[in-house]
Amino acid sequence: MSFRKKLLMVFALTVFFAVAIVSLVVSSMARRAFQQADDERTAALVAQFRSEFNRRGADVTRRIESIASSDAVTRMALSLSNNAPDYGAYLNEAKSIADSQQLDFLEFTDSQGTIISSAQSPARFGYKEPAIATVPAGLFLKKEELSDSVAIGMFATKTVRVSDKPLYVIGGRRLDPGFLASLELPAGMRVLLYQNIESVFTPKALSVSSGTLASPEKISTLIEKAQRTGQETTEIIHWTTDPADDERLLAIPLRGQSNESLGVLLVGSSRRTYVDLERRIRSAALLVGGAGIIVAILLSGWIASRVTRPVERLASAARQVAEGNWDTQVQATSSDELGELADSFNRMTRELVEQKEQLVQTERVAAWRELARRLAHELKNPLFPLQLTVENLLRARQQSPELFEEIFRESSATLLAEISNLKAIISRFSEFSKMPQPQFQLVNLNESARAVARLFQAQFQTRERGSIECNLELDDQIPEVPADPDLLHRAISNLVLNAMDAMPDGGHLTIRTGHDAHSVSIEVADTGTGLTPEECERLFTPYYTSKQHGTGLGLAIVQSVVSDHAGKITAESTPGHGTTFRIRLPLKRELPPRTIQTSGMFRQIS
Amino acid sequence: MLSHAATRPRYGRTLHVALRAAPTSLEPVQSLSAVAPELTELLFDKLIILDSQGRSIAQLATSWHAEQGNRRWQFAIRSGVTFHDGVPLTPDAVASALRAANPSWQVSASDDSVLIVSDAALNTLPAELSLPRNAISRHDVAAKPVGTGPFRVSHFQSARKLALAANDDYWNARPYLDSVEIELGANPRDQLIALELGKADLVDIAPEQIRRATSDGRRVVKSAPLDLLALVFTRERRSSEEGRLREALSYSLDRPSMRNALLQGEGEVARGILPGWLSGYEFLFPAKLDLARAQQLKSGLKATSLTLGYNSNDPLGRLLADRIALNARDSGIAIQVTSSSEVDLRLMRIPLVSLDPRLALRGAALATGTAAPGFAGSSVEQLYQSERVLLDTQRVIPLLHLPRAQAIGTGVRNWRRSEDGVLRLDDVWLATEKP
Repeated sequence: MSFRKKLLMVFALTVFFAVAIVSLVVSSMARRAFQQADDERTAALVAQFRSEFNRRGADVTRRIESIASSDAVTRMALSLSNNAPDYGAYLNEAKSIADSQQLDFLEFTDSQGTIISSAQSPARFGYKEPAIATVPAGLFLKKEELSDSVAIGMFATKTVRVSDKPLYVIGGRRLDPGFLASLELPAGMRVLLYQNIESVFTPKALSVSSGTLASPEKISTLIEKAQRTGQETTEIIHWTTDPADDERLLAIPLRGQSNESLGVLLVGSSRRTYVDLERRIRSAALLVGGAGIIVAILLSGWIASRVTRPVERLASAARQVAEGNWDTQVQATSSDELGELADSFNRMTRELVEQKEQLVQTERVAAWRELARRLAHELKNPLFPLQLTVENLLRARQQSPELFEEIFRESSATLLAEISNLKAIISRFSEFSKMPQPQFQLVNLNESARAVARLFQAQFQTRERGSIECNLELDDQIPEVPADPDLLHRAISNLVLNAMDAMPDGGHLTIRTGHDAHSVSIEVADTGTGLTPEECERLFTPYYTSKQHGTGLGLAIVQSVVSDHAGKITAESTPGHGTTFRIRLPLKRELPPRTIQTSGMFRQIS
Repeated sequence: MLSHAATRPRYGRTLHVALRAAPTSLEPVQSLSAVAPELTELLFDKLIILDSQGRSIAQLATSWHAEQGNRRWQFAIRSGVTFHDGVPLTPDAVASALRAANPSWQVSASDDSVLIVSDAALNTLPAELSLPRNAISRHDVAAKPVGTGPFRVSHFQSARKLALAANDDYWNARPYLDSVEIELGANPRDQLIALELGKADLVDIAPEQIRRATSDGRRVVKSAPLDLLALVFTRERRSSEEGRLREALSYSLDRPSMRNALLQGEGEVARGILPGWLSGYEFLFPAKLDLARAQQLKSGLKATSLTLGYNSNDPLGRLLADRIALNARDSGIAIQVTSSSEVDLRLMRIPLVSLDPRLALRGAALATGTAAPGFAGSSVEQLYQSERVLLDTQRVIPLLHLPRAQAIGTGVRNWRRSEDGVLRLDDVWLATEKP
């Protein structure tokens, strides 16, 4: 993973966790605040409902008082005080008065509790109203048995006294869906009424002020708890899996005159507003958080690129230096540590180039010196016999003219031999300076190895000091490689010649080929005297030789050929045990860099 | 002079009537006799009609006599009578109408009479001929029923409106009224309002409305207590337990309270199926409120709950049913009141079909779904035994006998009280000035 990616990931994770922690904290605080607000709202709604409920109760009381003070009821009371009740005369009286007063229940009873007229059950005339004896003053709740059902009502009573026989007026409103629907409730609130019809919970006993109940059994526990404890109980009901459908229900047990359980009034407060608000805030938080994270990642990327760009430039420059471009420079864009690092890098490369030039200059001087030494050495050997021969001729002409002719012939031959030797030396130097550019074609290294072995076969066996046994260990699967066959033949030949020189007393010469996924190789191993580590280091230096009569150009030529093929040559040697040269050539050849020879060193130019 | 002018009958004008009945057809056999029998005598005549004492009075038959132990009856047909479309009344037309109404009879016509023959003795034939379904009618060229009555149909809108015009050729003198417009299916409240506003001269009123209408100063005419209000079980008694339950229910009912309060004192407490004024022996049947007896009968019974159905179109029906349920509860019998058709017993209003007690008892038996009683003779004892047998089936619990009543406008003159509730308007006339 790159430095930039690491930096970006660190930035992004930091921002992400920071945003997540802030979001969690804000969400938790918001939830707590909303919960508190919801509690307060529910309490306010319930208080509003109680106010509305009480107002309805007061309205019932007022209407009963109005009925009791009406002329019709006064006349009824007067009539009943003097005569036996004429039920037929008052059969529809309660009904018509109840209708005019918008009451669901209205009954007139005499002092014995006998029903004179009943709005809710007109057929009950003459029957006793058992509740009249225990009717409390003011508003109360009562279960009323109708002809086909049982109802809960909000009742009020009023006594009409025009003589010693009182007339009771008892009436009220039915607590039913119509009553619940008529309540002026705040938005988001509804009222449910459960009537105790059966001993166990039954959905048909449930009335709703608005809407419907898809799963009434979900509130059975709440109802039963309120009935059992007789206390107001609050519970949040999850109607569906959507929290917005949740409803906070306050169960208020309804008690009759004898404290008997009549039912349960449930005041429901929808939590939709709260849940919607919470959702909106959560969505906004997620949106802002997400956007923040994206912006933070983008900014992190930008900052990381700003921070890492100089580092990457330095890394790239370092790679170029490693590839040999020692004069690579890095642009310093800041004055911070990275700027100092870039300056230091530039200074370092400049010094490297300077040191390299100094080294090249030094090596060039050394090479010229070595060349001069070698030339002097090589030329001195033939020149000394030439000098001696010429001096011998001059001496013979002066001292032994009769032998001059004979000496002249012998000296001439010597002179010509030495001059020939000089020409050979000059020819080899000339040949090194005229290394041709390789002409690539697909070459099988096995064939090259066999050709060289065949070339030197006769010399292996006809040597004066000892024969050499040549072994070919060739890789049959070796692929063809792009190369110049002539130059390659020359390089392998030089290595074989070197090996032969290294085995003056004979030995074993092994030519071995091989390959891997990226390259092919050829090894020339001898069992000669071997090389010291110092000799190994200078092995490929032009004009360096460890031999008595070498020019020091053989391995230099080999290295030049290998370099032109983008290959590598290595030497492994142990003194007394022989030396192995290994040439490795790439299978996929790139265009070899154009090379120029500068005093025995190859420098890559682009 | 003014007094003379006020009492002298006047021809002309239109009588506006509002009735609760809503017939969909004027066919006397199929619909009219069942839905609105009170209208039949306006349009149709019969061979014989009964007076308030149940005696036969000749109408289209001028005379009649029976032979062969009442198995062969011969009726002389009145001559000079024409149907509303001008076709003369003939014995053939009479025979044809009677055959259509009574497929079991062998009816034949001669030159001036009609012969009715049966394998069984037709002891009540004159009374049966006075039933609305035996009104003489035929179909005109438009296939509409026409009769020989005092009024002919000028317009009929099914169950909505019936307009009649005086039959100028009526054999028993042309009616005073030129026409009669009858609103059908009117509800009681609208009828009274129409009467109050002068838009109607004659309206039906329910028995429970009589007291209020009378106290409000309206002219109310009512029949004798004709119709039987009764609890009718929808099936036969299957066990003695059911019989005890039905008897307990009968003892639970406080009939006087129903009469005094719910019916505002109108009608009579019913002990039997036929009203006492018609049968003469009704007092022999028990109908006392006896809760102790009811509870004694009910004790030990397994099934003590019943469903009671009522006619939801009858405003009094629900009230009576609720009261019956309350009374029954006093003796431990649970009655659920419902307007559905699947019930154990039903609150029914059974009309008196004839002033002849035998026909009336048979009509009541048919209406309650029990077998028609046979009559070995025409004595009161035999009639009592027949009714006794009918009551012992415990299919019927009589509650009340109710009158039929009408409120009439102040301009209506010469109104005759009708014992059987049938409208007879041929002698009615309207005063010019309404007081």
